[in-house]
Amino acid sequence: MTRLRFVLRHPFWQGVILLVVAYLAFTIGVQYVPPLFGVSSAPVPHSVVLQYMFIAVIGVLIFVSSDELRWRTFKEPLYATLVDRDKRWLRMGLLVAVPVLLGFETYQQARPRVDAPIELRSIHPAPPGQISFRGKTIQLSGLENPLRKAGAMADHLREGRRVYYQNCIACHGDHLDGQGHFAHGFSPSPANFSDNGTIAQLTESYVFWRVAKGGPGLPREGTPWNSAMPVWENYLTEDEIWSVVMFLYDQTGVQPRRWEASPEEQKNPTGTKQPTTSTGGPK
Amino acid sequence: MTAVFAVSAPVHAQNGKVVYNKWCAGCHGDAGAGDGYGSKAMLPHPRDFTKGVYKIRTTASGEIPTDDDLRHIIEVGMPGTAMPEWKSRLSAGEIGAVIEYIKSFSPSSFKDTKAKVIAIGNAPSGSGIDEGKAVFQKLECSKCHGMAGRSDGKSAPTLKDDYGNPIRPADLTENWKFRGGSSVQAIYTRLRTGLDGTPMPSFQDAIDNKLITDEQLWRVAQYVHSLSPEKAPESREVIRAARSASALPTSPDAPAWQNVERFWVPLVGQIIAKPRWFAPTVDGVWVQALHDGTKLVLRVAWDDPSKSPDPVWDEFLGRMSKTLTDVDGPLATQQGPDRLVVQWAQHPNDESKRPYFLGGDAKMPVYVWRWTSEPRLEEGTETGIAKFTALPNGRVTQAAKYVDGQWQVVFTRPLESSDTTQVPRFNAGHAIPVAFFAADGSSGEDEIRGAVSTWYMVYLDVPTPKRVFVAPIAMIALSAGLGMLLVTRAQRRVENGGSAADSSHTEER
Repeated sequence: MTRLRFVLRHPFWQGVILLVVAYLAFTIGVQYVPPLFGVSSAPVPHSVVLQYMFIAVIGVLIFVSSDELRWRTFKEPLYATLVDRDKRWLRMGLLVAVPVLLGFETYQQARPRVDAPIELRSIHPAPPGQISFRGKTIQLSGLENPLRKAGAMADHLREGRRVYYQNCIACHGDHLDGQGHFAHGFSPSPANFSDNGTIAQLTESYVFWRVAKGGPGLPREGTPWNSAMPVWENYLTEDEIWSVVMFLYDQTGVQPRRWEASPEEQKNPTGTKQPTTSTGGPK
Repeated sequence: MTAVFAVSAPVHAQNGKVVYNKWCAGCHGDAGAGDGYGSKAMLPHPRDFTKGVYKIRTTASGEIPTDDDLRHIIEVGMPGTAMPEWKSRLSAGEIGAVIEYIKSFSPSSFKDTKAKVIAIGNAPSGSGIDEGKAVFQKLECSKCHGMAGRSDGKSAPTLKDDYGNPIRPADLTENWKFRGGSSVQAIYTRLRTGLDGTPMPSFQDAIDNKLITDEQLWRVAQYVHSLSPEKAPESREVIRAARSASALPTSPDAPAWQNVERFWVPLVGQIIAKPRWFAPTVDGVWVQALHDGTKLVLRVAWDDPSKSPDPVWDEFLGRMSKTLTDVDGPLATQQGPDRLVVQWAQHPNDESKRPYFLGGDAKMPVYVWRWTSEPRLEEGTETGIAKFTALPNGRVTQAAKYVDGQWQVVFTRPLESSDTTQVPRFNAGHAIPVAFFAADGSSGEDEIRGAVSTWYMVYLDVPTPKRVFVAPIAMIALSAGLGMLLVTRAQRRVENGGSAADSSHTEER
């Protein structure tokens, strides 16, 4: 008991425990704790763990050296390891183990790696102010889904459902999660509409643009060469696209981002207007 | 209050209808006839619930499934088809309600009969794969599933389901796509129950008539299980071409290929350019690559149950054109050859000049090897899918073999090229973008209808640079030296009368 208390109070062991806890948090914690709360996560890459650990070590050193007495106590076991006769074996063990470990880590860094070049891709590239849809010019900026003001919603949604199941389901899937039965064949993965980071952040006009122009219509920062999204204006009419866009929001239960309605901006034809969320203030 | 507690089947079915209409009707249809909006482009078509006939059951052949059977399929889905899992989306109560509603589409089937689970014993101890193989032959499984299990049996071209739709026997080398699960027990259960509505029979009779024993049927299940890899293959972005010191294998069946790492590249229907294709035959290619500093060899192998064109498959093609009519126009009436296109980026090192993955476009063409089973190999460029221009002086050669339902093609070409504007430099140490397209002529596939992949990378190994070995040794020497110095300095201080506590000059790090 007293020994445990000694260990817990000793700055050296405190530092060691802190580093172990930090290491476990970076490697296991980040990967497995958020899923317990329903948030998806992924393992932290080895190189990032190394960086974090470096910062953690510096943090611990600052902590132990911030007080003269603590610094001295901290150094005691280190010094003892260097000089004490009864720690001879530990000393020799460390003299072998530490260089071997460093050598191994150096090898890991230096060995040739078979990696694909990293591609930087903008997930939501900025849309153009206007597009040409089958020869007709459509002003995207400030554009709302015209079907929301015309005809019966139920009809539009039925039409959107038809369009979705006939054209989109193979990639975007029954759950609208981008996990359709063809999704595994494409990289980048098809968009997951039930994720908060996709259509929930976008205006319907943005989604219309992405559907109409597909992968080949992406601006450069969206790496058009990889996206398998077809150019749907070759297959679908304007109304069909608006109805399927409406269906996406209805089926996932999320709201589209709205344009900020201000009269001056509506007159602005250059398409510089920013969309705003319902919670966000005016821009 | 009594009304609340007495939740009867009709009330359940009413709740089930809401869930069904939102999540199921798009494929299975409003009236459960398997004719929803998505059904036409899906092969196998979605289940028609009005017949009360189900493939995956634990009940005897020809019987209705239990509620648990239906629940199981809804919860885990059907691998290899468009049916996903629903466990993540629907609650147990919702699934129960949907089951009642689905059954209500075929009231006569589910009215009186109580579904009875057949008794499934435990797998016999030990493994009897050799015996299983013998019984597999005895039961004539290979008549449909083929000698190697790759669904290329003699009867395969004649198969249809109860609706007259073309149907393929399962590819037994890809058990991750088995509709009812890939475990030995799942396979055994399918052997006992059969897959109702399909040509796959139950082998209960064979046991009852003492043709085989129950244990032998378990051995068949073990044998079938053994035909697939232990785990479903995972696709990796980089296909590694190791550097070979010995002569490169240029024939598809050279023994050397057995020691070369295989990479799985999944292919899916070409559903981007017209005419789209939602029912691809080929679901992936196995790729192996080697180089020796002057030449690259690439071996591509893929399962295709027919060596096209083959007249015995005319009947099958007829069924395909009848059932997949209204997606972007009719299928070819004549069988074409089988095809493989290996596509490369022309400027692999220039990230900004990566072409569109589907055959490039007019601005940025791709460099391709077009192989057909005629056999024929063309080398050239494409400016869009199937928009091909041949290059003069092609330098690629091929050697192909069709073995038990699998094409194996080896391509060979020199690494250097005289025309680096059209042809990529196959430089070692760089990742070269590559993509694949495969088509099966016997099921109506052609230059555009087929299976595609997005970009992958072929990486040609470089000889390991010396620094990889020098740097760790230097690191070890340096750190060991520093450690020794630290220890000797500290110890000398003690000998000179310093105390352990007085260590302000000792640097730990």
